[in-house]
Amino acid sequence: MNNSLKGSVPTDREVILGILNNSADTLNKLYKAYFAMVLQFILNNNGDEDDAKDVYQEAIIILYNKIKEGNFELSSKLKTYIYSVCRRIWLKKLSQRSKKTGNITDYEDVFAVEEDVEQHEEKDLQFVKMQSALDHLGEPCKTIIQDFYIHSLSMQDICEKFGYTNTDNAKTQKYKCLQRLKKIFFQP
Amino acid sequence: MPAAVKENIFSTLVIEMRNDLELDAIIEDYLLGKLNPQETEALEQLRRNDPAVDHKVVSHKFFLESMEMFAAQIRLKEQLNSIHAEINLEGLASSLRPHPSRVVQLWRKQKSAIAVAASFLVLSLVSVYSIQHNTKQKEQLVLLSNQVNKAIKTQNSLIRKINNTTTTAGKPVIQNSFGGTGFAISTNGYILTNLHVINGADSLYVQNNKGESFKVKSIYTDPQNDIAILKINDKNFSHLSSIPYTIKKNTSSIGEIVYTLGYPKDDAVLGEGYVSSKNGFVGDTTQYQVSIPVNPGNSGGPLLDANGNLVGIISGKPDQTEGAAFAIKSKYILEAMRAIPQDSLGTNRLSSNKKSLLSGLKRTKQIEKLQDYVFMIKVYN
Repeated sequence: MNNSLKGSVPTDREVILGILNNSADTLNKLYKAYFAMVLQFILNNNGDEDDAKDVYQEAIIILYNKIKEGNFELSSKLKTYIYSVCRRIWLKKLSQRSKKTGNITDYEDVFAVEEDVEQHEEKDLQFVKMQSALDHLGEPCKTIIQDFYIHSLSMQDICEKFGYTNTDNAKTQKYKCLQRLKKIFFQP
Repeated sequence: MPAAVKENIFSTLVIEMRNDLELDAIIEDYLLGKLNPQETEALEQLRRNDPAVDHKVVSHKFFLESMEMFAAQIRLKEQLNSIHAEINLEGLASSLRPHPSRVVQLWRKQKSAIAVAASFLVLSLVSVYSIQHNTKQKEQLVLLSNQVNKAIKTQNSLIRKINNTTTTAGKPVIQNSFGGTGFAISTNGYILTNLHVINGADSLYVQNNKGESFKVKSIYTDPQNDIAILKINDKNFSHLSSIPYTIKKNTSSIGEIVYTLGYPKDDAVLGEGYVSSKNGFVGDTTQYQVSIPVNPGNSGGPLLDANGNLVGIISGKPDQTEGAAFAIKSKYILEAMRAIPQDSLGTNRLSSNKKSLLSGLKRTKQIEKLQDYVFMIKVYN
């Protein structure tokens, strides 16, 4: 496993081009290329596999969005960038859990990524808001909304999935749900 | 949605505007660009006329954008999760988890520190080695400089330092005294020695070979040639019989056998050797270098040749050369003697004109005669 992971490390250029072209294969390779590094870091600094997954995915998302925004300058190796972001996130989480962060065991070089992480956190607040609004919505509204907006199912599909007699009924239901969702979402 | 129905909804909306739900649907279609030009125009008209509708459009637009970003994030996360599921987490984690063995854990954690420590160790070994190497070279250099330039050496004056510890009334009084040697230059109590022997003295005494002490005082000093002349100032002192030795006029040659009598300890000690160089310390022409084992206390002692002629005054020895000593040449003795009032020396004085009384005698006889004229100088300060 380890070997196959290491064998398929894409070049930094490949990753950037691949992400800009929405290549699932590139994302796959990128993800597998550096996960072990972050897993090792987290496991050796008071974390478990789930922590590693969360932190790593967050870092990948930050990198992904940065590349997509088109303002990613390759000033360092992607590996260093990912490691630095993960390290930053994990330190924050540790201090939130009020665990000791004095003695961090490092495995790679680190450089400053505070800005990127903070930007991401701001955006993430919006997503948390949306997620909690969806959670408050209850079924079947939540699933209908998710299916339509996130998974891009057609009203026809939704109609069949939920057993509405016709798409108009499904539509009416969807808008009812949407109205409630917006109400919750826009609640101060 | 059939156009007729839509039209129908529209007119209902326009007229009554009650059905929020359907308005939402139309706004969404509008924002997604699904309305036909006619309907778009109608809604835009509505927006302009009714701020409430306009607000709805704006807020829905914002909502849809948020939703789209959220959706993108969720989709990306799902994608990542599916990739994550392909990873053999267990295998990977067990190989990377902190090892149960502390040694391995330590090695992993401190890998870089250990590397630094190791390189430091190597570096220190190299530096220690090179320092040792350097030291060796330095030693050789010192030896070399010894050979080349004796100037570095200090001249050890042969003063004997005696620690006289006298305990009086329970209170220890430490009296520092120095010792040297001197010899008579006249029968009436003039004694010649080295200036450095008596330098800084509070009180001066001489002691003859019988152990009698006489108080003396310094009459003349010659710092340049390191010569001092003392005068016994003691009523117990009886005049000596005539001086057995004479001053040698010519300079001695290298290899000439010489000897000295001195007081490196409380009894007179004979030292014998030969003139080893015509010049003394750092090529000092006022001195000879002689090869005689001398010790502190020998300073000021007479240096005589085999016939009992005064060759010089033992004055010092080089710091680092064993067995060598320096002696002030005898002609400076004469110079010093001329510097004091001639009458005071009396008629029976040391001169270069007489024949030495020691000439032709065996060494033991010479010493027997000589020892009455050689004094231990005791210096208290």
